Amino acid sequence: MIDLSKLPAINERYRMFSEITSEASADAEFAFSAKDNLTAVGFRARAGSAILEGYEPVFDAACVEKMRSAGGFLVGKTNMDEFGFGSFSVNSAYGVPRNPYDAERSCGGSSGGAACAAAVMDGHVALGVSTGGSIACPASFCGVYGMAPTYGRVSKHGLIDYGNSMDKVGILSGDAKDLGRYLPVISGEDRRDPTSCNHPPLAKKFRKLKSVALVRSETSAGVDAAIRAAEEELRSMSVDVEAVSMDTLRYALPAYYVLASAEGSTNIARYCGLRYGRQDGDLSMKFDDYFTSMRSQYLGEETKRRVILGTFTRMSGFRDKYYAKALGVRNAIISEYKKIFERFDAVLTPTMPFISPRFDEISGMSALESYRADVLSVPPNLSGLPHVSMPCGYSEGMPVGMMLTADHWNDDMLLSAAEDWQDRFTAIPPEVSL
Amino acid sequence: MKIGLEVHVQLPTRSKMFCSCPTEGDAEPNTRICPVCMGFPGSKPSLNGEALKLGLKLAKMLECSIPDTTWFSRKIYFYPDLAKNFQITQQETPVGLGGVYMLGDKPIRITRIHLEEDPGKIKRTSDGSSLIDYNRSGIPLAEIVTEPDISSPAEARKFLASLLADIRHTIDLEPDSERSVRCDCNISVGKERCEVKNVTGLKNVERALTFEVVRQTKILRAGGKIERETRHFDEERKVTTSARKKEFEADYGYINEPDLGTYHIARMASEIENKETPMEMAVRFENDYGMTAKAARQIISTDIRLAGFFEDLAAATDTETAKCLVSGVVSSNWKGFEPTKGSLDDIISMVRRFKEGKITDVECNMRVRCIMTGDEDTCRICSEDLDKIVGRALDENPSVIADYAANEKAANRIIGAVMKETGGTYSSAEIVSAVRRLITERL
Repeated sequence: MIDLSKLPAINERYRMFSEITSEASADAEFAFSAKDNLTAVGFRARAGSAILEGYEPVFDAACVEKMRSAGGFLVGKTNMDEFGFGSFSVNSAYGVPRNPYDAERSCGGSSGGAACAAAVMDGHVALGVSTGGSIACPASFCGVYGMAPTYGRVSKHGLIDYGNSMDKVGILSGDAKDLGRYLPVISGEDRRDPTSCNHPPLAKKFRKLKSVALVRSETSAGVDAAIRAAEEELRSMSVDVEAVSMDTLRYALPAYYVLASAEGSTNIARYCGLRYGRQDGDLSMKFDDYFTSMRSQYLGEETKRRVILGTFTRMSGFRDKYYAKALGVRNAIISEYKKIFERFDAVLTPTMPFISPRFDEISGMSALESYRADVLSVPPNLSGLPHVSMPCGYSEGMPVGMMLTADHWNDDMLLSAAEDWQDRFTAIPPEVSL
Repeated sequence: MKIGLEVHVQLPTRSKMFCSCPTEGDAEPNTRICPVCMGFPGSKPSLNGEALKLGLKLAKMLECSIPDTTWFSRKIYFYPDLAKNFQITQQETPVGLGGVYMLGDKPIRITRIHLEEDPGKIKRTSDGSSLIDYNRSGIPLAEIVTEPDISSPAEARKFLASLLADIRHTIDLEPDSERSVRCDCNISVGKERCEVKNVTGLKNVERALTFEVVRQTKILRAGGKIERETRHFDEERKVTTSARKKEFEADYGYINEPDLGTYHIARMASEIENKETPMEMAVRFENDYGMTAKAARQIISTDIRLAGFFEDLAAATDTETAKCLVSGVVSSNWKGFEPTKGSLDDIISMVRRFKEGKITDVECNMRVRCIMTGDEDTCRICSEDLDKIVGRALDENPSVIADYAANEKAANRIIGAVMKETGGTYSSAEIVSAVRRLITERL
């Protein structure tokens, strides 16, 4: 029996859910949550956007369906940046989740609510979605484990698209074992999503991680210290750690923002106040004026920025310079990763260059500065590579995360690495008193 | 004058292009829809392989070159009937490129053929509002784009009629679905061209183009300049009106469709063997049977099955007899005739009897008409002939009548004799009933 009586009070304090179940307890094997961009019958699916207010999906996302049939009880939909557009979960129409280690700081994003729920609630499994780092970043900022599998490993049926060629459903939890327990549950081919794939299937016995290539990067001193300590710890676990440089990675961030915005802007096109969600505009207007008024009123500022950016990068005359070029850059980056994987099982970097920023710092950031925060988490996402963020230390009382990236379909190595790491690393859970 | 057409044909698949909704059936608006063809958040398209196959068949028919791999693109524009505000279409890798279509002796170059999804339909109501029916949303379309090789509105119509006959034959499209064929017509009388969008039906294409010829010619004669623009054809008033100036033409901002993969179609394409098109058949008839082009086209355009029957008859008898019969009595009775293998074989054996000199040409024609029409008068005449033969046989064997009264099997002697004499002209059932009827009359 799962006790849900404290859920409203927890959510009151941390704002990690955009909607919670109205039940006080549930007779189920385990509790889980789904990011608000995953559809679930019985819950609204708004993806953090005001324009989807009132949308009640008629079907379960494949991952939700599978978790439910494995005995899971869906406790709520977790808060997020609107359509996934953000790194701090501040771009939501439904409140801002607060970091359990310091309420004045961000949970990260865009799966901020999911990471917060994983950090605060014992035995909770949170389904998240990553396009450019939206699982790794909040996992790092909230001190939990977050796994984004190989692109295609988990069906996207029921996932409200951001950047379709990069969107991946993954898992966040305070317990590394949950990643290995539930990734097999949600994995597999699904004819409702032609990009889903099960070749090869997830190995039943997870292979051990034997070697990592460490890519050094510019980070805050606190993050750097935690990573150096983790490096030593990994060596003591008889993992070979060797520093390498990957020159193409610096092109990942611009390529990512071009591709994700280009795809994102086409996905956002359908939200025009006509068929679902908000439909309360003045229908006597001409249709294009109506669309403009609804979109102006109900899409958030960051969404508008990315729609404009994405539309620009695919306009005739600019398409080759931006969109087509970014496709080429993606291939170059994948090639560089493949070379590294000839010699190493995984690539190791910090997940984020700094600890979670305070909200007053975030409001002072330009769009470009906040995009730059994703510099380390974007490359594996752009490349469709599985990656896991794990807590590896603390700086100023805030968690620091490190990220392992493996070759396509080698998800199992990351799952075993996370479990082994959890045995060695002493996590300091946030103080949660209710 | 230069005319180029963009022809949209709905492909006859059972389910829609990217979901399993039926393409035909309930006409009630918005009953054949699902989250995919409504573009609901979280839904994903899955390609109907049959649509791809039909597209490849048409690409082959048009002698296009077919790429080894193909993928889809998103064409983004905002319109209420477009569920996702983007259309899944093919931009960079159409299923066919650079083909040709022979209109008689004249080659019309085909620029490309690509696949895309149909949007829904908007219905304007009398109070000025609009209703949207998404039943059509997601029905597969093939778009065939020609080079500006057509030189008059009449030729455009002729081209379309001929192309459509070939398309119908190639992909088994119902003959009555002409309304589902839509055309964008590009026409320039001078240097600048105009595009008349979304014209439905052959007659309207000719009308819209003719209107444009007159309009553009008038402007040029008056020393004016044609403006490059998109125009709309008003079916009621039979005029074209300006819809959008080209300088405001939408930039569709194409990107690759990331929800679908890359399709390796080389093998699928190589395995497709198209039936001979009606146009190809007409050319072969001219060559093989020494027909005039007009006669060949006449037979083929009447019904492809009539053309097939002609070939069977020519093989069973000879070319001249087949030509004579098919262009005569068979053609004139074809309408309303439901050809079955049995009825066609009956005609062939009748013509054989004529060739063997067993019946006259008049009788042959009459009997063929009888087979094809089942017309009572014709059949009565035919059956009177049978009665004469049976009557004669009874005259020669008068004892049968008395024997029959004792045992009905006695009729078999007459039946056997008549069968032997008529050699398959009549079915055994016809003979049996005639013999019994005549014996009963004489009892």
